[in-house]
Amino acid sequence: MAERRPRHDAWSLLADGGRIRRDERLERPLDWALCKRLFGLMSAYRLRRNFLFALVFTRSVQLPLLAAIPPLILKGPVAEGDVPGLLLAVGGMGLLALLTQATMFFRVRLAHELGEAVVRDLRGAVYAKLMILPMSFYDATKVGRVISRMTSDSENIKAGVQDVLFVAIVQLGQMLVAAGIMFWFDPVLFLAVIGMAPILYLINRTFRKKLSRTHRIIQESFSRVTSTLAESVSGIRITQGFSRQRINADLFHNLVEDHSEFNMDASRVSGTFMPLLELNNQLFTAILILFGGWRAWHGYTSIENVVGFLFLLGVFFGPVAHMGTLYTRLIMSLAGAERVFRLLDLPVPHPDDELPAGLGKIRGEVEFDDVTFAYHEGNPVLHEVSFRAEPGQLVALVGHTGSGKSSIINLITKFHTPTRGTVRIDGRDIMAIRGTELHRQMGLVLQVNFLFTGTVMDNIRFGRPEATDEEVRQVLDHLGCRDVLEVLPEGLATRVGERGGTISLGQRQLICIARAMLADPRIMILDEATSSVDTLTEIRIQHALQKLLRGRTSFVVAHRLSTIREADQVLVLDQGRIVERGVHAELLAHAGVYARLYHQFTRAGEAEGGGD
Amino acid sequence: MDWTRTETSNWALLKRLLALGWLYKARCLGVVALQTLFMAVGVGGLALTGLAVDVIRFRHTPEEIAWPRLLPPPGDAYRLRVVAYLALGILGVAAVRAALNYTAVISSARLVQDIVIHLRSKLYRKLQELSFRFYDHHQSGSIINRVTADVQMVRMFVDGVVVQGLILLVSLALYLAYMLRINPLLTLACLAPAPLMWIITMIYARFVKPAMLEARARYDEVILTLAESVEAAPQIRGFAREELMQGRFDGDNRRFYDQQRRIFTATSLYSPTIGFLTNTSMMVLIGYGGYLVIRGELALGTGLLVFFGLLSQFTAQVNAISGLVGTVQQSLTAAQRVFEVLDMEVEIKPPERPVPLPHPRGAVEFRGVTFGYQPANPVLHDIGLNVKPGQVVAILGPTGAGKSTLLSLIPRFYDPQQGTVLLDGIDIRRLDLDELRNHIGFVFQESFLFSTTVRSNIAFGHPNATDDQIRWAAEIARANEFIEALPEGYDTVVGERGADLSGGQRQRIAIARALLHNPPVLLMDDPTAAIDPQTESEIHAAMENAMSSRTTFVVTHRLSTLRRADRVVVLERGRITATGTHRELVDQPGLYREIALHQLQEHAGEAPHG
Repeated sequence: MAERRPRHDAWSLLADGGRIRRDERLERPLDWALCKRLFGLMSAYRLRRNFLFALVFTRSVQLPLLAAIPPLILKGPVAEGDVPGLLLAVGGMGLLALLTQATMFFRVRLAHELGEAVVRDLRGAVYAKLMILPMSFYDATKVGRVISRMTSDSENIKAGVQDVLFVAIVQLGQMLVAAGIMFWFDPVLFLAVIGMAPILYLINRTFRKKLSRTHRIIQESFSRVTSTLAESVSGIRITQGFSRQRINADLFHNLVEDHSEFNMDASRVSGTFMPLLELNNQLFTAILILFGGWRAWHGYTSIENVVGFLFLLGVFFGPVAHMGTLYTRLIMSLAGAERVFRLLDLPVPHPDDELPAGLGKIRGEVEFDDVTFAYHEGNPVLHEVSFRAEPGQLVALVGHTGSGKSSIINLITKFHTPTRGTVRIDGRDIMAIRGTELHRQMGLVLQVNFLFTGTVMDNIRFGRPEATDEEVRQVLDHLGCRDVLEVLPEGLATRVGERGGTISLGQRQLICIARAMLADPRIMILDEATSSVDTLTEIRIQHALQKLLRGRTSFVVAHRLSTIREADQVLVLDQGRIVERGVHAELLAHAGVYARLYHQFTRAGEAEGGGD
Repeated sequence: MDWTRTETSNWALLKRLLALGWLYKARCLGVVALQTLFMAVGVGGLALTGLAVDVIRFRHTPEEIAWPRLLPPPGDAYRLRVVAYLALGILGVAAVRAALNYTAVISSARLVQDIVIHLRSKLYRKLQELSFRFYDHHQSGSIINRVTADVQMVRMFVDGVVVQGLILLVSLALYLAYMLRINPLLTLACLAPAPLMWIITMIYARFVKPAMLEARARYDEVILTLAESVEAAPQIRGFAREELMQGRFDGDNRRFYDQQRRIFTATSLYSPTIGFLTNTSMMVLIGYGGYLVIRGELALGTGLLVFFGLLSQFTAQVNAISGLVGTVQQSLTAAQRVFEVLDMEVEIKPPERPVPLPHPRGAVEFRGVTFGYQPANPVLHDIGLNVKPGQVVAILGPTGAGKSTLLSLIPRFYDPQQGTVLLDGIDIRRLDLDELRNHIGFVFQESFLFSTTVRSNIAFGHPNATDDQIRWAAEIARANEFIEALPEGYDTVVGERGADLSGGQRQRIAIARALLHNPPVLLMDDPTAAIDPQTESEIHAAMENAMSSRTTFVVTHRLSTLRRADRVVVLERGRITATGTHRELVDQPGLYREIALHQLQEHAGEAPHG
């Protein structure tokens, strides 16, 4: 199931009083297949897991025994006035305590290790999956969602693995053993006590349900608070510029008050149920005193047995209250597992490892043969596109947004595969070529100049990780832009912030160009950036680009006229079809779609030309 | 860091936190009183249980019962009935306890929430007023955290440290007094492990805290690598760097795991040790207590059983102390971050007695203006510029020349260090801040739209605007047509999570927003910078419309706009290097000519008329 988020944010929610939906997940029955698969994650650590099981069983006997010893001592040596016996018994208790804690040491350690190892493996598997998933996955998925697979979902799975099962075993076992001891003390009294257990269970269940519901609402309301805050921060210039500070502050005050009210609801629920549970415990005590007292009075049982019950009551009923929490945790961990498994189970349509290896060095000829392509079935964005780029040619793709330029790029890079028709590289069907092998001979410079965290040097070296510092510098010299990057505070060793903070737009573009240059690809893909940098940097960038593209088959989604003018082939796209092709001068003379586009591009230039 | 300075500032923070608690002193004390009463009643219930046990036991081994002195001891025949009364008494006490518990929980929650509301609203109000300098220096995540998590930690000081600490003190005294009354020697013997427990907990906390911080940092790296990998999926795929990245991720993942293991080792040692010490207390109680019972020096119920109950409560409370100490540290860190915002000076102060200027004509003048984000490092030097009402001024220059900075001085987003900016001849620092900004419309490079309807976005500055006014603004901004074509017209939700609008469409909504109240001054900071060229022309028409009949400052490199401007200002390194009309400037050698020529080359190469 997709994560549910309120569609509108706080600004509009405050206006139209949007409702917060409830979670139905907690009311769903357990999915056993999912449980099994979750359990199966541990099979890589069979030895540790089995040892842990043994420990857990041991503990479930040790705990109630430890609790039963004091009443046994009261009943035995103390009742009989046997001082040496008392000392002996206390010594025995010390021994048992030591054993119990030793078991505890290994149990805690193993459980944590197991849980952590399982999620570590899961994270690795998710990442490996991300590396082979088709690009269409990334088009449709937000970063935040993938991250929550790794964070909250993994955390929930970990809790499920290391706690739910093992703790449940300890708790159940401890309940059973405690019941056995109490039954041995006095069966009749025990039956009277256990008759009350369902009430406790029911109270607990209703409580959990109510509480998880209010918590869900709190979460949603909290996410409204944070998203409103986030918007307020990003929009602060607008807010102050339009003098909206006070209105916003009042809206936010209301929002915070609402949120607090939801929190109060939760407190009211716990405020009602916690005392109720406590009251219930006291009820047990009262019944024990009354009924047990009556039995002791008449000699059916001993007063030490009644006291023993008082001691064991907690051991027996503790788990009842705990089971609800465990169940909620199990459900949460299953929900997390379901989402992670769904990601891991996503089909990979054309996996590389089923294709023959050994592409060899390509010449760089690219051919589209009657290619039709649709991102969503029945809604093609490219119709019967055919063209051929000779090795070393520069192909400019021109057209409006949505005309199919990026789709062509996506097919050449095999990020997507054609619905019909064939894409050929050096005459070979791209479907028979491994994506990774193709990509090793391909370079990309995209509109968004993404820089990784690390130094400028690291970022350039991403194009060819084995390149030496000297080689990187040579590339920069070759592009004629070394000075532009060396003026940075620490030159090429300058660290790039999370989103390339300290580095200007133009410098970032140059880094990406250098990165592609270092890779020395046969086929170059370039999506020209649209954001304007200042004119002087712009000239440097154009110069570097010319160097980069020379001698490689290049496909450029062109926004610069200088690029288009130099192209060996201009493909003019309109609504997924190539409507015109040729070189700039021919196309302009043709006075068709291209000529119109060109005039739109250059309205300023045209006006200038006409004016003077 | 200077140790003594941190110490004193910690004291100052503590004082301020205590002052915050003092604001709520009556309610804090109320909560403490309720909790104390709650515990006292609990102890009463425990005593009743013990008494009942002794009464029953007396039937078999008659001995002295610690009967409350106020009541006459009951005769043998009534004893069973007495047990029944005691059982009822236990229930009655439990009921009172439940009621007290509820009241305590609710009043404490109310207290917590009131503090949270108070702090959050105050913070937000302050944030809204803070100058952009603050926002330039703080990441949005950190700001959000201050209002959310940090506020919680600050209020934790009131309810978690002050109130809880008082309750802890009272309850420890109560339990200790009762235990001592039952048997002083037994008390001392049983409590012997308590200090040890406390010391171990402190040592553990001291080790685990930095270890957890380290784990957190490693975890952040895992997430960072992941986030980057998702964002940069085309780059990784395109350069075939899947294995490299997988290796990097696996490394991060392993380092985190290794750190976690270090923490487990500590944890798995800590909890059994504490467990064993608790067991030891119990052993002492049973051993020594049992011996006393045998000797007849301690009653089974009112003595041993009650003592057992008290001891477990006491141990639980001692353990709570270490949590409390941790909270103090966290509260101090959070308080520093919260108070930093609250104490931050609002740089742009509205005048005390503003000069009213309800209908300015729109004359803007810069008189010797020098400004730097850091005063020692000016971005603008001695700017002088006089703009007549209705004039269009185009500003151009290289990145970092100070163009946006120049614009941001007009609505007083910053105040210059030297010189004055005047509107209609009046120093803008003498005008009411809201009024001044109401007279100015502006459009930024990147149009930020809030996640709400198109209508509310356009009416952002004037929530009471009528539909006609909104439509009028949209029409001037050439936005009406596409807005009406949206699925829900003006009620379509836009912004981060709303409808997909092109950059050009968003920018036109932003222009409509700026024009809504027909401001006499309009500032446009290169609105086409982040727009692809195809949609750029759409905005141009909107910009042209917007500029007519008002004083306009527009940052641009586009020739058409430069030519249309009444005046072009060339800004280089914070100084005006040239000013004049396009025709004047293009004939002089300089930056302007260079830029203009480059554009002509770019655009006019084979233009039909060229």
